[in-house]
Amino acid sequence: MSEWQPKILAILCNWCSYAGADLAGVSRMQYPPNVRVVRIPCSGRVDPLMILKGLQSGFDGVLVSGCHPGDCHYISGNFVARRRFAVLKPLLEFVGVEPDRVQFSWISAGEGERFAQVVTKVTEDIRKIGPAKRLVKGA
Amino acid sequence: MVNELREAAGKLLDDGKVDLVIGWAKGSLPLASTPVFISSSDEADQLVFDSTCGNNLTVYFTKDNKKISRDRKKVGIFVKGCDSRSLVLNITEKQLKREDVTIIGVPCSGVIDTRKVRRKAEGREVLEYSQDGDTVTIKGKEFELSVPLEELLSNACLSCLRKDAEEYDLFIGEPRKFSGESDPYSDIEEYENLSADERWERMNEEYSKCIRCYACRNVCPSCYCNVCFVDQNDPQWIGKTPEITDTMIFHIIRNLHIAGRCVECGACERACPMDIRLLYLNRKVAKEVRERFGSDTGTDLDQKPAMADFREDENQDFIMG
Amino acid sequence: MGSKRNSVLIVGAGIAGIQAALDLAEMGVEVHLVEDTPTIGGRMPQLDKTFPTNDCSMCILSPKMSECARHPGIQIHILSNLKNVSGKPGRFKCTILERAKYVDPVKCVACGLCEDKCPVKIEDTFDVGLRTRKAISRYFLQSIPAEYTIDKDKCLYLTKGVCRICEKTCEAGAINYEDKDREVELEVGAIILAAGIDPFDPIGFGHFGYHRYPDVVTSLEFERMLSASGPMGGHVVRASNGKEPKKLAFIQCVGSRDEGIDRNYCSSACCMFAIKQSIIAKEHIKDLDSSIFYMDIRAFGKDFDKYYEKAEKQYGVKFKRSKVADIIETPEGKLRLRYTLEKGTTQYEEFDMVVLSIGLQAREANQRLSEDLDIRLNEFGFCRSERFSPLMTSREGVFVCGAMNGPKDIPESVVSASGAVANAVRFLDLERQGLPTADESIPEKNVIGQRPRIGVFVCHCGINIAGVVDVKDVAEYAGTLENVEHTEDVMYACSTDCLDTIKKRIEEHDLNRVVVAACTPRTHEPLFRETINEAGLNPYLFEMANIRDQCSWAHMDQPELATIKSKDLVEMGVAKSRGLQPLERLPIEIDPKALVIGGGLSGMTSALSLADAGHQVYLIEKEDELGGNLRNIFFNFDDKDPQVFLGDLIKKVSRHKMIEVLKGAEIEDISGYIGNYKTSLKAGSGKEGRLLDHGVVIVATGGEEHKTEEYLLGKSSRIVTQVEFERMLHEKDFPAGKLKNVVMIQCVGSREEGRMYCSRICCSKAVKNALELKKVKSKTNVYFAYRDIRTYGFSEKYYTELRDEGTVFLRYTPDSKPVVELIDEDVTDSRARVTVFDPIMDRDVVIDADLVVLATAIDAPEKNEELAKKLKVPLNADGMFLEAHVKLRPVDFATEGVFLCGLAHSPKDMDESQAQAKAAASRALTFLNRKAVLAEGTICQVMTDRCSGCSYCESICAYSAIEVDPEKLVAVVNEALCKGCGACVASCRCGALDLRGFTNQQMYSVFDSLDLVITEKVGD
Repeated sequence: MSEWQPKILAILCNWCSYAGADLAGVSRMQYPPNVRVVRIPCSGRVDPLMILKGLQSGFDGVLVSGCHPGDCHYISGNFVARRRFAVLKPLLEFVGVEPDRVQFSWISAGEGERFAQVVTKVTEDIRKIGPAKRLVKGA
Repeated sequence: MVNELREAAGKLLDDGKVDLVIGWAKGSLPLASTPVFISSSDEADQLVFDSTCGNNLTVYFTKDNKKISRDRKKVGIFVKGCDSRSLVLNITEKQLKREDVTIIGVPCSGVIDTRKVRRKAEGREVLEYSQDGDTVTIKGKEFELSVPLEELLSNACLSCLRKDAEEYDLFIGEPRKFSGESDPYSDIEEYENLSADERWERMNEEYSKCIRCYACRNVCPSCYCNVCFVDQNDPQWIGKTPEITDTMIFHIIRNLHIAGRCVECGACERACPMDIRLLYLNRKVAKEVRERFGSDTGTDLDQKPAMADFREDENQDFIMG
Repeated sequence: MGSKRNSVLIVGAGIAGIQAALDLAEMGVEVHLVEDTPTIGGRMPQLDKTFPTNDCSMCILSPKMSECARHPGIQIHILSNLKNVSGKPGRFKCTILERAKYVDPVKCVACGLCEDKCPVKIEDTFDVGLRTRKAISRYFLQSIPAEYTIDKDKCLYLTKGVCRICEKTCEAGAINYEDKDREVELEVGAIILAAGIDPFDPIGFGHFGYHRYPDVVTSLEFERMLSASGPMGGHVVRASNGKEPKKLAFIQCVGSRDEGIDRNYCSSACCMFAIKQSIIAKEHIKDLDSSIFYMDIRAFGKDFDKYYEKAEKQYGVKFKRSKVADIIETPEGKLRLRYTLEKGTTQYEEFDMVVLSIGLQAREANQRLSEDLDIRLNEFGFCRSERFSPLMTSREGVFVCGAMNGPKDIPESVVSASGAVANAVRFLDLERQGLPTADESIPEKNVIGQRPRIGVFVCHCGINIAGVVDVKDVAEYAGTLENVEHTEDVMYACSTDCLDTIKKRIEEHDLNRVVVAACTPRTHEPLFRETINEAGLNPYLFEMANIRDQCSWAHMDQPELATIKSKDLVEMGVAKSRGLQPLERLPIEIDPKALVIGGGLSGMTSALSLADAGHQVYLIEKEDELGGNLRNIFFNFDDKDPQVFLGDLIKKVSRHKMIEVLKGAEIEDISGYIGNYKTSLKAGSGKEGRLLDHGVVIVATGGEEHKTEEYLLGKSSRIVTQVEFERMLHEKDFPAGKLKNVVMIQCVGSREEGRMYCSRICCSKAVKNALELKKVKSKTNVYFAYRDIRTYGFSEKYYTELRDEGTVFLRYTPDSKPVVELIDEDVTDSRARVTVFDPIMDRDVVIDADLVVLATAIDAPEKNEELAKKLKVPLNADGMFLEAHVKLRPVDFATEGVFLCGLAHSPKDMDESQAQAKAAASRALTFLNRKAVLAEGTICQVMTDRCSGCSYCESICAYSAIEVDPEKLVAVVNEALCKGCGACVASCRCGALDLRGFTNQQMYSVFDSLDLVITEKVGD
């Protein structure tokens, strides 16, 4: 009966992705209850340390989502973030962290359905690879 | 060449163009030359340059000795290819001003990894080291070996594509231009093709050797934070334990912090007392930076460092579709 | 003067109305925003994306909508109309009719239960009929105000006296069937009309089969299909068979440029709209084959041509210059288009789906408004305004903006809205605003150094949360967390009585942090912050956990997991709240003077608007004379002499006691920030240097005529530019001899490599000059070599007129440009032989021209670069100044306090420059009219001893808000400019930066708060 449920950290920018999550809620779109959302002003605020801390704390996956290119409320925060993630993601994979463990997406304020889809996909991806062991403290 | 080098330094000092020249001098041990600060032409005859001059002298502008540049002293500095890239990077990072430094390039044929020398000597003490072109002679108490230089070179030098300074005021001899590239990252690509499990295992094996001595950080010309993230405790993002997760995260973050800033000089790997193949991560990051952002660290004074920049139409293949 | 009111009534709450309302409210003006529908937002919420950046429409609009709803100076009247206006400018008496809503907006929490249960389905006008809604409904999911209303004509109870289901369902008791329409009387100083525009209804276009063939849709319907929140969730399928279309056609100018239906004007936006849709559709459906059937592609705006090129080259959209005759559905269900190519040959092609790019037309309601308000309409039913007063109606004190006086895209609407505001303030009793005074009776408690004492309030939201999540369990769990001193579950956290409860508990338990677990902070945080502030806590000591949108609504069938998730979110919220610190918003004093750079039409117009509003202006001009490019313009379609207008303007500017004109001036340096700028002017040539203090800057540096030798310009006095030709016409100083043939060549330097933009005004200018020529030399043959005729908006009719005059239009392509040769190389006034390939006749046309007139491009002045560096503002690839946001902040720079207008922004016509100049003035007034503004609270801070001065933060900051001090070599934040995005913080590897309100320590605590490893993984 106690089927394993992954816990996933979702770091969402306030202006687009968090608004997308709100829209998914208001539209009563159903998605897996596995994500724990942290709201930040902009994806540009995301320091790779946060993602690694999330993994180390034992989250089975981390999703970071910001505004689509060009939509950033702060003009270019998501471009800065993108460059950072563009290095982080391959590096994590290089050391052997499963590719689906950490994922990035752009979700706009109007994409409630996409938010639900992204969360569903990330949850399924992580369910497939199982509980996080790599980089987890005490694992 | 050594004469030319000494003359050049002497002339700069005599002409009052610089107050100080930073270079290399013969060390007390045969395999390691030592940095030297020359402030008058009489001292210039201490200067040497050969494959034992591994030290990247630009650290004197950024680390604890930042005052060298902040005192607005005019400084002359000898640089290999990688050193010059450090210097360019440091200028773009406002650690020093181009006009305050006279860059003297020296033709580099690579620097040795002392461990490789000792391995050749099979543990016997090396008392003398001399180089003639591509051949090196190692002498000990009861032995003498002649070895091709290439077999002793630091790993970083083996994959080096820009051996000579491209940014300089003087050059001793004739600088070789960047000669294009074959496939400088083929070793990284091979590694990428392993399975995630295999990579994780190998990395684990490699990094579990780490004793967290931070020699890699301390020797790195691009590491010059006043307080390293690992020594900060507000919050203490990562633990200082030798537990693999802490160690691994330290090295991941260290590599992200030198993304677009690593000049692939290999100083970290040479400094590592545990013989960890640190360059794998550095070169993986450098490869991504070059392929994704088209940025070659330290080759352009007018270009912002990669991680201080962005383009709107960048490759975003890692973003969920 | 004292009798003027400091209030404005705005009709229409689309993007123009919203912008005007926000500008005015920021100046301290009381605004009444009167909207016919149940929501503000207008057309923009219906759009999926916006061109040419593919910005998500809702993403960029919703912050403005919420700001509007929250602003204490703006009163929104939904379901309302302006009925009557009497009195005089400065003191109008208005009557508005507010229709009954039947739902008490104070009680309604917008949970939507009523709509679920309502048995009556009606057409959803927001989704243009593509889905249904109920008789009680919210207009769309993000509508503002977030209220439900009842359609009284459809409600069973209100029409037949039966049902009342919604009343029974509503936990909040918000339904009120007794609600009545009411009239409201308002006194206002000025009125701004922003009543918008309607899409053309192609129902009468039988030959296109709209409504007959299910796969023929309008562009607005198609937009809703593309929208991720639309009726199809962004999956475009054919109504006929539910399958994705593989071949898609767009038909342009449906209801535009059509004299046959009295629409001899261009709707201006549809070309770009279709290009955008073709790109977005291609992103949705990979192998989609799209064709656009068009007459001319009118991509005349800033960066539009690049977008057009991207569609063609990168997305493979096919552009087919042709006229579509009709559409017939084949037995296989395909749509067969019959169309005629330029050459006159008829072709057929089959498609799966056809999008009719419908034009924009005047609203029928304009007619009534025109009668009620006594304002004039133009021949097409749009509100009438003149070229030299583009935002004025025929009635004094009543202004117009948005598309109500002619088709406009979004940024033009925004510009006109701000511009109308600048006009309206003349009729207001405007007073410089002090800082909002905090209520002195509640001094703020000092909590610094105190151990956190957290109160957690968990909301039921009626049954919205409590119906799924075990709210009591969550509240109890919160009580077990460290530092939580009080926890409580409440029915509606946002209800007035609960807000009072929160305040009481803060007192009783000496709470110094408050966490509310309820809905989204995006809508409710301000309310709760205000509440705790009323109880003496700094508003930033507040945190929310969103257990409604993210738990109860998203996991309705998994109550246990939803409850566990709620506990986690509360725990994370509590963790974050422990690190909350009281934040201050620093006041930044505003020097009420303005610097306007550039003394052309735009600069002078801006300066005059600011000076009329009572502010000192320094107007600097690099040349020794005011006027700029306007000095070369002599004709106007409306027959008004531009030179007379210019003379008046210069006189007004020169004589205005609040304007100091500095001619022949050159800027040495500009330093400072919003409210506090210092500009030094160079000394030299008998001039002393000057140091000017000012609070804002307006950049109006204009544009330059492109210098070229193409088409042998300069080789003969008979080869001239349009500017030279206009002067020739004015002075009647034509080349000697007969003027038999005149050839006009368009796009000289524009729309090609190196200048991939349209100079926008050249088509209209050439048409204008050609018509002027015809007036004086009616027998002259005019040949017009063009690529696309871009006489957008109401200029279209002049193009038609010129065509009717018998002008020969010869279309050329960039790879077969016209060739100009001198007939007699030895003379300086040689006639020229022009060879143009004519695609209609499929052969070269050779003309011996007595005059060749070149429409040379508009260039950005080279000096822009220098000025941009001094002001720390960006340029685009073409060297023109780049605004903060191409859609919604068209005259602002990202750097606060600096604005732009006129050709410095991009090529534009005189009326557009004036509107933009007024808009820049209005945006500047939002600052100048305040003694001080408040900086953000959540901003970046520097730990100086950690900073190594590497300047990554400086490179990354979009607002120039952080810089490395050149002496101390450490980063310094300009708190007046920082917007608190945190991009620099995460880029600082030294850990020297932090973001207040989202500190590293707080983020760490949040990620560390859940005991994920030690506890057993959650079971089902």
